[in-house]
Amino acid sequence: MRASKKRDRDLKHLTDQELMDLVQAGDLSPASELYDRYSRHVFNFAYRFLRSRETAEDITQEVFVKMMKRAAQFHGGAKLSTWLLAIAANSCRDYLRKHENKFNAGEDALINLPAPHDLSPERHMERREAEKRIEEALMLLSNDQREIILLSRYQGLTYAEIAQISCCSEGAVKTRVFRAMSALKNVLTGDTERRLTDV
Amino acid sequence: MSDCDAMRENMPLLLTESLDPVQRELTHQHIESCPLCSREWSAYKETWRMLETLPELEVPARVKQRFLAEIDPEVRTNVMPFRRSPAARWLAQAAAVVIVAGGAFYAGHRLSPTVQLTPTEAHVIGIQQPPPSIPYYSIAESRVLPAASISPQIEGRPDIQNVQFTDASQSNEQIGVSFDITSHVTVTGRPTDKSMVRLLRYVLESEDRESPSRSRAIDWVRATYAHVDKPDPEITEALASVLRTDQHQGVRIKAADTLQSMQSAMTDSTRDALVEALKNDPNPAVRIKAVEALAKLARSGGVLDPEMVDTLRRKASQGDENVYVRVKAAEALSSIQPR
Repeated sequence: MRASKKRDRDLKHLTDQELMDLVQAGDLSPASELYDRYSRHVFNFAYRFLRSRETAEDITQEVFVKMMKRAAQFHGGAKLSTWLLAIAANSCRDYLRKHENKFNAGEDALINLPAPHDLSPERHMERREAEKRIEEALMLLSNDQREIILLSRYQGLTYAEIAQISCCSEGAVKTRVFRAMSALKNVLTGDTERRLTDV
Repeated sequence: MSDCDAMRENMPLLLTESLDPVQRELTHQHIESCPLCSREWSAYKETWRMLETLPELEVPARVKQRFLAEIDPEVRTNVMPFRRSPAARWLAQAAAVVIVAGGAFYAGHRLSPTVQLTPTEAHVIGIQQPPPSIPYYSIAESRVLPAASISPQIEGRPDIQNVQFTDASQSNEQIGVSFDITSHVTVTGRPTDKSMVRLLRYVLESEDRESPSRSRAIDWVRATYAHVDKPDPEITEALASVLRTDQHQGVRIKAADTLQSMQSAMTDSTRDALVEALKNDPNPAVRIKAVEALAKLARSGGVLDPEMVDTLRRKASQGDENVYVRVKAAEALSSIQPR
């Protein structure tokens, strides 16, 4: 037990590449540490992409299982987070294909978040409404545009990394970012004259 | 394309700091000199700022458990399948229910006096299969129920929370109402039934402070398993976990004392917990109970290890240790040495 705890502590000091080297050698022990490092990125990406908490949970599990099974395919050319997000993006696209692009429009996971202590109930509700509006605006984008905005705004990836994940050129990434941002601007800042015409 | 159009195309790239220095400078200069583009730029910045306000969601703990169980079957024995979230109440799991209201809402169910819940298959991992005729029930579950399957009579004013609504789509006229509802569940079985053991382990290890105190749970476990010939080691491992982690000394004392009474279920892990308590617990009463349990283990010929013996030796000779602990440690050593 103590040896196991010590090993867990040691794993925390290893780089992603070193942990993946262990996995490639057939050692399963880094699984938990790798999950702890990146599950939040993957889960939030999948949730914001599909707006379904349940599906995001399934996809998060699937991504990390694939990470363990396909560890040999990870060569360190890209960051591990980018590789995992590429798997997540693929899984989300597959999900949408299988479900004919139908979203769970009614789900609102944010409603379950605890209210911050420093906010009045009214202010809390206002904030939730604003967050819901942003989520809905994201869902108005095309799948390609939403994927790129999520990777750029929330995951902080460069256009080169996004191009790798989205299997397109950097030029295409720039075009999609422009169109997505124009559409979001029109919806979120109330430019109703051109509302969504750019989408 | 006008200057303004070209500059506006650059604005999202400006936000993501993806413009080359020359273009960046040109775009900034244009924004400063053109009121319309300046307004447009402000709107882009506001949109970018709004996107940042979306909070990050926590990943539910069950996802990690499912992932670890899937990649390594050995982990399955450690999966606590009943656990839904750290804040789950004792034996009262929120069951998310979606009532799909359709045209058949009232059809044929007016006389049904109570809500009819269809049993759902439980996702319990690592427990022996029941006979085929008995379905597993999960006490942490989500259900989707067609409205026609529940009674229109809502009895007893159930406490429903987190109500959410699903609109009808164009292709499907069905609407949805989902909510959390707290159920009170009684699980019955023999003390040796694996599911019962797992449930008690969960209760003992639960972090929930609203449940009956751990102290009471330990008392009950002790009384129950006093008459069981060979208690399941999972019970003693749960007690060991309590001994390691509970903040209240009274609870740790009870855990160590109960472990002493369950020698036949002692494992390496529980013995290690006692050794750790003897070495490190700040409360002398806990150390006394731990050394008593180890002394009993030594007398009964239980499995010993070098660290346990070494700890007993150090405690027996440690000048600033509680005298009773030193005496008991010496007693334990004396019962080991002749062997």
